Amino acid sequence: MSDDISPRLAAYMAKMLGIPAVEIDSLSRISGGASRETYRFAARYYRDGRAYDRRLILRRDPPASLIDTERSAEFRAYKAFHKLGVPVPEPLVLELDNGPLDRPFFIMEEIQNCTVASVIQPDPYGALAPKIGHQFFSTLGRIAKADPDKIGLSDFEGARENAWKHEVERWEREIDEDEREPQPIARAAIRWLKRNPPPPAQKVSVVHGDYRSGNFLYDAEGNIRAILDWEMAHIGDPLEDLGWALDPLWSHFNPERPAGLVSREHAITFWEQASGLKAEPRALFWWEIFASLKGLAIWISAAREYGDGRNSDPVNLFSGWYCLTFHNKVLADRLSAVGA
Amino acid sequence: MKPEVDKILETTAMQLLTQIAPELPPGYTQGSAGLIGILLGFCANEYENGADLRASENAELRNLLAELEAAVEDVRLRVKLGAVMGERDASLKISDLNYSNAQLKKLLIEVQTYLEARNDDQAKLARREIWAVLKASAKQRLVKLPGM
Repeated sequence: MSDDISPRLAAYMAKMLGIPAVEIDSLSRISGGASRETYRFAARYYRDGRAYDRRLILRRDPPASLIDTERSAEFRAYKAFHKLGVPVPEPLVLELDNGPLDRPFFIMEEIQNCTVASVIQPDPYGALAPKIGHQFFSTLGRIAKADPDKIGLSDFEGARENAWKHEVERWEREIDEDEREPQPIARAAIRWLKRNPPPPAQKVSVVHGDYRSGNFLYDAEGNIRAILDWEMAHIGDPLEDLGWALDPLWSHFNPERPAGLVSREHAITFWEQASGLKAEPRALFWWEIFASLKGLAIWISAAREYGDGRNSDPVNLFSGWYCLTFHNKVLADRLSAVGA
Repeated sequence: MKPEVDKILETTAMQLLTQIAPELPPGYTQGSAGLIGILLGFCANEYENGADLRASENAELRNLLAELEAAVEDVRLRVKLGAVMGERDASLKISDLNYSNAQLKKLLIEVQTYLEARNDDQAKLARREIWAVLKASAKQRLVKLPGM
């Protein structure tokens, strides 16, 4: 598959750059989730008498997408937050036409010499955890603080009023469409979330949508170099991202350290300091229940994609099996504890 | 058949994880091969325990639903709950067990929704019983990663 793409990608880039030829080298697929195909490659070309050797990333829609995400949203989010100085790769080109590479795609710079943690790896950060943890939760606070209207994302999908309701209904629809067997815990969670709405959002923010351990690149000195995977970015309550980031699925099996990084108290403090907002416990608890429910909806969709043969990426089966049973347990434990 | 299927799957999973995946070029292919190895491990466990887990859970659900009948005033729902104890799984095939499981869970969702609309002590107690079974089921079904 990679070999098929190279000549067409070279032709596309040459046309975009307005030059006779671009050489594409070392195109290889890398892990990047099941909702986009991710490739690394080198692009070499001459322009205005100068030689270029650029390391780039191609993110292309898969034949069937795990979740229906707005194709341009991820690219626009990268652009907006890159300008704001949030660590993200520089986005270069967005192509929505199916012609050049069969499906929509975008190209961005590759951040090199970095690591991304695997969710199933115990203690991936080691001694770097406190340093990375401070950056991780502070950066999320900075994202929460940004004004969507001032960074050109005011038209993003989502809701400015009653964001909680919009999100619950969105993910309930996913479950309605994709469940292949009754889900009593997910259904109970949806009913609980609707019966116990959170306080109104303190502000309208851009919600990353998948801000978690495993979705950022860090270097050997413990510097976060890039926040990745903005494909579910939308407008909403900033506590949504904090609830997701704190979810036990991303804790690398350490319940004392959300995201496998720092204590819950420190995580919330770093977020509050950077955002200027408060993580009121009742509101945050609601968004944490929501996070696990949203997880279930994604995993149910993943299992459906795999089962129906639309996307046989093993990450879909893993999500639809391991992650689904994990979040069922989290929700059963938490909801039974509050007498749902 | 000897070796049993779970043993075959476990051995294949280990070969993929420890011998084949490390030899592949780093990136998507290597990551996917490793993940397939983990998934084969899940399949091995499912082969050995899948039927027992479902049969036990179906029995638990039938007991629970039969007990809940006393807390339900809605006649239509009571009839459904009353019928549950007379039902049996058609066979120990996974597909038959899954069919029963789905029917039982559909009814459980219905009765749980009904009980959440009430605030009396009997309904609260019944809701706690439901959560106890759901918690136990979630724990039983939780998939274990290799080495964890």
